[in-house]
Formats: sequence, structure tokens, C-alpha cells
Amino acid sequence: MSLFQKIGNIGKIFRQNGGLVGSYLKLFRTDDLKWGTLVGEDKYGNKYFQNDYYFMGRNRWVEYPLSVGHDYDASQVPPEWHRWLQYIADEPPSQLPLPKRKWMADHTENLSGTERCYVPYSTTRPKVEAWVPPKNNL
Amino acid sequence: MASKLLVSVRQLSRLNYGSPCFTRAMSSITSATGSTDVDQKKDEHKGITISVPDKVDLSTITGVPEEHVKTRTVRIFVPAVNSMQSGTFNSRRWRMEFDERERWENPLMGWTSTGDPLSNTEVHFSSKEDAIAFCEKNGWDWFVEEQKKPKMRVKSYGANFSWDKRTRVSTK
Amino acid sequence: MKGMKVKTDSPVTRKAREGVMEFLLVNHPLDCPICDQGGECDLQDQSMAFGSDRSRFTDNAFTGKRAVEDKNIGPLIKTIMTRCIHCTRCIRFASEVAGVDDLGTSGRGSDMQVGTYVEKMFKSELSGNVIDLCPVGALTSKPYAFTTRPWETRRIESIDVMDAVGSNIVVSMRTNEVMRILPRLNEDINEEWISDKSRFAYDGLKRQRLTTPFVRNNSGELVATDWETALFDIAQRVKDANPATIAGVAGGQADLEAMVCLKDMINRLGSEVLCTEEAFPMINSGTDFRSNYVMNTTIAGIEESDLVFLVGTNPRLEGSLVNARIRKSWVHNEMCVVLLGAPVDLSYDYQYLGDSFSVLKEIADGSHPIAKALADADKPMIILGSDAIQHNNGSLILDTVKRIAKNTKKSLNHPDWKVFNVLHRNASQVGALDMGYKPGMDSLKCDKPSLLFLLGADADKLNNDDLHGNAGVIYIGSHGDAGAQMADVVLPAAAYTEKDAMYVNTEGRAQVGRQAVSPPGMARHDWKIIRALSEILGVSLPYDKLSDVRGRLAEISPTFDRPGRVEETGFDNVSDDVTIDKITHTGATAPVVPALLKLRDFYMTDPISRSSLTMAKCVQAYDEAEANPYSKPEAI
Repeated sequence: MSLFQKIGNIGKIFRQNGGLVGSYLKLFRTDDLKWGTLVGEDKYGNKYFQNDYYFMGRNRWVEYPLSVGHDYDASQVPPEWHRWLQYIADEPPSQLPLPKRKWMADHTENLSGTERCYVPYSTTRPKVEAWVPPKNNL
Repeated sequence: MASKLLVSVRQLSRLNYGSPCFTRAMSSITSATGSTDVDQKKDEHKGITISVPDKVDLSTITGVPEEHVKTRTVRIFVPAVNSMQSGTFNSRRWRMEFDERERWENPLMGWTSTGDPLSNTEVHFSSKEDAIAFCEKNGWDWFVEEQKKPKMRVKSYGANFSWDKRTRVSTK
Repeated sequence: MKGMKVKTDSPVTRKAREGVMEFLLVNHPLDCPICDQGGECDLQDQSMAFGSDRSRFTDNAFTGKRAVEDKNIGPLIKTIMTRCIHCTRCIRFASEVAGVDDLGTSGRGSDMQVGTYVEKMFKSELSGNVIDLCPVGALTSKPYAFTTRPWETRRIESIDVMDAVGSNIVVSMRTNEVMRILPRLNEDINEEWISDKSRFAYDGLKRQRLTTPFVRNNSGELVATDWETALFDIAQRVKDANPATIAGVAGGQADLEAMVCLKDMINRLGSEVLCTEEAFPMINSGTDFRSNYVMNTTIAGIEESDLVFLVGTNPRLEGSLVNARIRKSWVHNEMCVVLLGAPVDLSYDYQYLGDSFSVLKEIADGSHPIAKALADADKPMIILGSDAIQHNNGSLILDTVKRIAKNTKKSLNHPDWKVFNVLHRNASQVGALDMGYKPGMDSLKCDKPSLLFLLGADADKLNNDDLHGNAGVIYIGSHGDAGAQMADVVLPAAAYTEKDAMYVNTEGRAQVGRQAVSPPGMARHDWKIIRALSEILGVSLPYDKLSDVRGRLAEISPTFDRPGRVEETGFDNVSDDVTIDKITHTGATAPVVPALLKLRDFYMTDPISRSSLTMAKCVQAYDEAEANPYSKPEAI
């Protein structure tokens, strides 16, 4: 690869990521700057890119919507895109949509560590029933 | 002349187990055997008394934490016969048990936990004196609960049918 | 026959035993894995020891095993009658020990059935003992059904506090829970039985419990709080109160350690007002002499006696095992029983003298035939129920009974025999009196206390009029009952299975109860609560360990230092001589009747049994049995 191509790539990166300022912000948010073709977008606003210029394993990636800010994580990728992203399938769901069954639930991200996380609770009866003082009837 | 072999036997006096300290008497048993040089040497020790401390306290070297020596009370008892069964085998030997420590419900699994390493101690003794000696040696406070024995009564099957006594049973 | 040799382990005997076992097992289901008796079953033991290693029973498909319909005999005993091997131990217990001829057999041969003939409740205060007696799983405990196996539990040998008998019990504990309560042999007290309340009220230990301190807020509601807040709230109340009128009341199940700590703390605060819930008349020598308020002849002494005179008591419900002992003596020793009080069913015959006080007076004067019978008896006993002396005429009754005892003793052949006995109802009463608590709350009501400590006092004998204006009430106890409801500060304490504690029974016998489980939640041992409180109040008690408290108890009375033994009461004659003749007899005397008359009254008498669902079911079953038009009206 010639030096010119590399400089050209840098230009493409800056152009795709919204100029100097945009690139800086993207780098700040994702620690990474890439350029590639937009393969598709899911209903949560995640954008999926591919560029085979990068090495296998780095050539498909997702950009999370700005609305989630820094709280992005891999569980926000729905399973059909996960399939493409992790090279389980060659075609993205935008090209080859998966059959939608009526029993399929909507995707939810992993809620651990958030306020809506699942907290286990005891389903057994307490061994000792405590006394509840009678309400005052004054 | 046959010299005498000195054999000393430590004898634990068990009469005064209730008193705070023990006395160990040295008694000697003599037996007539052939005389050797060794025996001659042993003869030199005749009349010398070795004093053993009255109270042997092993608690400093047993490795039991101080908390579990000073704050624990041992109950020495004969387990009660299970009222459901007629067998008496488990009520033949003396046992010791420690005072109960706190148990709590483990928040993860709901299992019951305890911090008491002595709660599962199950030591049997053939007599209460042995149990007392063991507790004394380990430095535990102890108390003895006397054995409750059933009273045997003279019973007569004929009493169930005696015509003028209250022992006559109506329901058979 | 003389010179006969009995071979107990020859091949022939072994084979014969196997044969007998086979006959027993042919009519017994093989349901040990789901049987509650499994692991403590005599039949299981014997078949292991003597039985064959395999079964020859092959007729499962055709005629099958014998099967018998289960019977409903009340909320306490579960019957699986197919398992019955017709040993008739339950029948013999019911008719010989309990004195209730409810159980019997019908049919013969393989059609024989053990039961109550018609479906009815097995109405006895000792009914639970047939569960222990049953060598198989035919009679098992209903509340305990399918909860634990005997090898999973820890067995803690303790003392019962449901009545003043002080029965010895074994508490079975698993996972920090009381699973069941069984009797423990003590020939001097309960022999091998316990009453149903002792055995089945344990589920009350898991309900209505105080698990956290409460402090009453400005709007008059008890609010859960932490120990620190509650203790400092009390400290403020003590500061505001008049130290001379700070009072303490010991409830029916208070233990010796807690009572001595409370007494020492209140004394150090500068007050002497300490009393028990149960009254005892302070006439003559009052409670100064121990022989005035304990059962002098001891429970085992009943068997020596030839005449028992019961005054104003229903021993069957107030001390069930005392009654069982009287019945035993009545059956085997031809003992005479005379009763003055309510005409209750005592499970044996007695001569009834009515319930009027004038009869008692006639006996004291010697004009009644019973006076002569008492004088002629070899070892007569007079048992005065503590119930009869609760009301205003109590002192009169006590004085009269004492005079009868004194007259009786004059003609006694045995100079050491003590005639006068008191049957108490509360486990704490004798211990409290030994310690110097004043009996009854009359003196407390006179003093109008400015701050009141209730140590498990739930009898609901006080109301706000008895207290000084805005006096605070501090309740230390285990259950949310009458005491906690009237309290301003509630401190959660341990129930009797949750502490190492001593109790003195009606004989004056101190006994050590053992801790089986930990107190629930933030509850703590009673004496430790008072010890902590004393430190905050600035009158620290010098007890850091249980042995320190026990040492203090030993200082007060040597009887507390000799658990398990009963000390003979002294100064018998002196206490008899102290008699004040001038007792004001005003107006008509109320009849001498105890409070517990029917078995229904027996089940719920204290905070633990009042919280118990099992006991509530018993009351319900009793009412249903009463409402059944086909059941014959019974006295009990």
C-alpha cells in the first residue's frame, strides 16, 4: 500500500466521521476510527459497517446510536445482527431477513448493573413471623 | 539379695472431682526380679518424689482459640432416651455439649450458618469423671447434669382384672 | 422352672423370631420412606435386629395387604391406621394414665381396629403422649407431619415453661427452627409424659414474634427502630421519672436470670417496687417462708399420700402432670381425693364438697367430717390452687387452709410430712417469690409507678389508670401480646427455647433450660438486654457472663445453685405459728373456683400458646365437638 493510499484512507476516515471535530469526538467515544460501507441499521439505531480493507475480525463493526452515550455494550446488538457481526452468517439481515415467528420476543439488552436489573428474592416463607403493631385508632 | 524394680504409677484420684484441682498420687508397685546394674542405678531414685502440677491445663497448647476456651460452658450429661423408641443404647455413655452459639440464615441460599466450631463436637465418655477431667484439662467451665433413670415398678397383669381395685381396666 | 436354660441366640430362637416378625410385617405396610416414624420406629428397629433379610410376601397383586381407614381424632394426632400393629398401648395409656376411655378396639382377628368407635376428638390434655407410645407410625404428630427426620435434628434437653410443673423436654431443632418438642424422662416431675400445650404450642414460637425494638412515636404508634434508639429513649424516660416509683413486673414465663437482673437494676435505680403478675396473699407470714408457697411434699410425694384435698384448683388443666400423678396414686395406691371447688372432670373420682367457703371454714373448725378424715389419714396432702387465692378473699382462703393444715399436722404420725402445698400456674412464680418479688400487683397499683418495666408480663392485669399520669411502659418480651400493645418502648427478647435460663417449678425445684435456637431477628437474651440497659442508665450490673448471673443467683438462694434438686423447706412450724387472727371477713365470700374449667380453656393461656395455630385449632376442634348434637355432653 502506498503512502498516498494511506493518506487517502485518513481522508476517508475524517470525511466519514464528520470532519476533524467529529473524528475527535468519535475517537473519544469509541477509541477507534474506521471507514467502511454502511451495511444496515436496526430499529434501535445501531449502524453496521463493513470494510474488508481491515483484517478479518475487525472488518465488521457496529456503531451504537448517540442516544446511549457511553453506556453502550455488546448486548445492545439484536440477535439477527449479532449473527452477521460474529461471522455466523455471511449475509446481513438487511439482505436476507430472518423469518419472524410469533413467539419471538423483542430484544432487550443486558440490564445487569442498571436500576432495572433483576434482583433475586426469596420465595420461601419466613421462618419467624414478626409482630406488626396494631394501628392506632385514636 | 534381689533388688527391687521401681515402677511408678500415676494414679488419678477420682474421689474429689468436684474440687477445683486434682491431686495425683505417686504410688509404687514393687516386684521382685533379677538384679542388674540398671536396677542398681534405679535404686538411687528410691525415695525421690516427683511432683506433678495439680492442675494440668492444656488449653495453652491445644491451639483452641482463647475465645472458645474462656467463654464456653460444657454440659456433661447422659443423653435422654428417645421417647419414641424403647431402645436404650444411646443413653449408656456420658456426653459433653457446649453452649449454643448464634445461628443465622445465610442470605444467599437460605441455609443455616453458625460461627461455632465446637457445635458439632460429639465426645463420649464412659464416666462423668472422665468427662470432667477432659474439660478441666481443656480449661472449659463445666457442669454435670445427673442421669435420670427410670424407676422399675412391680406390676401384675392380674391387677387389670381384680374385681375390687381401681386397677381394673374397662377397655381392653 | 428352676434350672431351665433359656437360649436367646440359638438358630432356633432366631428363626422363631424371624417368624414372629414376618407375621407382624405381613399386615404392616412397607412405607417407611414416607412414614413419620421412620428412623425412630420400634418395629423398624426390631425388624432390623430380629427380622429376616427378605420378604416372602408375594400376594401384592391379588388380595394385597391389610388396609384400614384412617380416623380423625382431632387436630393433634394424625392416624394412619393401616400401620397399626394392635399393640393397644394407646388404649392402655388413655384408660390407665390419661383416664379417658376414648380409645378401644372393635372387631377381632385381622378385622380388629383401634379407634374411638364413633368419630370424635380424643379429648385429653395428655393426648399427645400416644404419639410417643405408638411403636409404629400409626399415631403421629399432625403439626410435625412430613417436616423433619429424627436424624436431621439436634436434640436439646430443656425445660418446659407452659405451666409451673417444669416438665423436662427435648427440643428438636433443625435449621435454627424448633421442629417439635418431646418429653424427657424425669421420675420426680413429669415421669415420661408432657401435656399437649407443652408439646404442641411450639409453633407459637414462630408467630407474633418481636424481632426488632419498637418506640411509640408522637402520633401514638409503635415504630420499629434499632437498639440504640430504643435504649436511649428508655434512658431519657428513666431520667424524667421519679426513681422511687420505677416499677418492674415479672410475667409468667420470666426466667431467673432476667428477673434477678431486673431486680438488681431497679433496686440500683432506687426503687423497691417489683412484683409478679400472680397474686399471693401476704397474710400471716406471707411469702417470708418458702414452705408457704411451694409444693412441700413434691410431686413424687403424691404417690406416698393417702388423701389429697384439692382446694380451688383444677390440677388437670393447671398442672396436667400433677394430675396424672394424683390419678396414678388414685389407681394404684387407693388414694382418696377430696375436692373443694368447681365440679370439674379430673379423670378420677373424688368426693365433692361444693365450692362454698363456709365448708372450708367448717373443716378448719373441725365440725366437718373431712376434718376427721384428714386427721385420720396417714400422709394427707392439701393442694391449694393459686387460682383460688387471686381475688380479694384469697387471704381468707389461704389463712383457713393454713389452719386446716396446722390442725391436721397435730395428729400426724410422720413429723416430717408437710401437709400444705400450693399448685402454681406460672413457671416464674416460685422463682420470683424466692428472689423477693412481691406477689400481685396491688402494691404496684398503690404506688402509681412513674415508669414500668414489664418482663414478659402479658396477663393484661394493668391498665393506664393504675399508672402515674404519663408514665412510660417498657416491655421486654418475646411476643407481641397484651404487654407489647400497652408499651411505649418494646424490647425484643428470647422465648424459652432461645436462651440458657433457669426456672423454678411449683415444688421449688430449680432447673436449667438450654438454648435450642437463636433468638429471631434483633431479639436478644433477656438478661443481656437488662445488662446493656443498666449500663446506659449508669447503674451497670456487675455481670458480664451467664456464670456471673448464676453466681449472683446462688448468693440470693442456695436453691438456685442446685439445679435439678428440690430443697426441703424449713421453718415449717414457725411459719404455721405466725397467724394473725384478725382477718376481716367482709360480706359474702365468693365461691372457691379456679379459672380453667374446661379443656377449651387449657389450650391458650400464655403468649406462646396464644400465638400458636395448633392450639387455636384445638380450641376450634373442641368447639366443633361440643356443637355436634350427637356427642354426649361431657364435663371436660
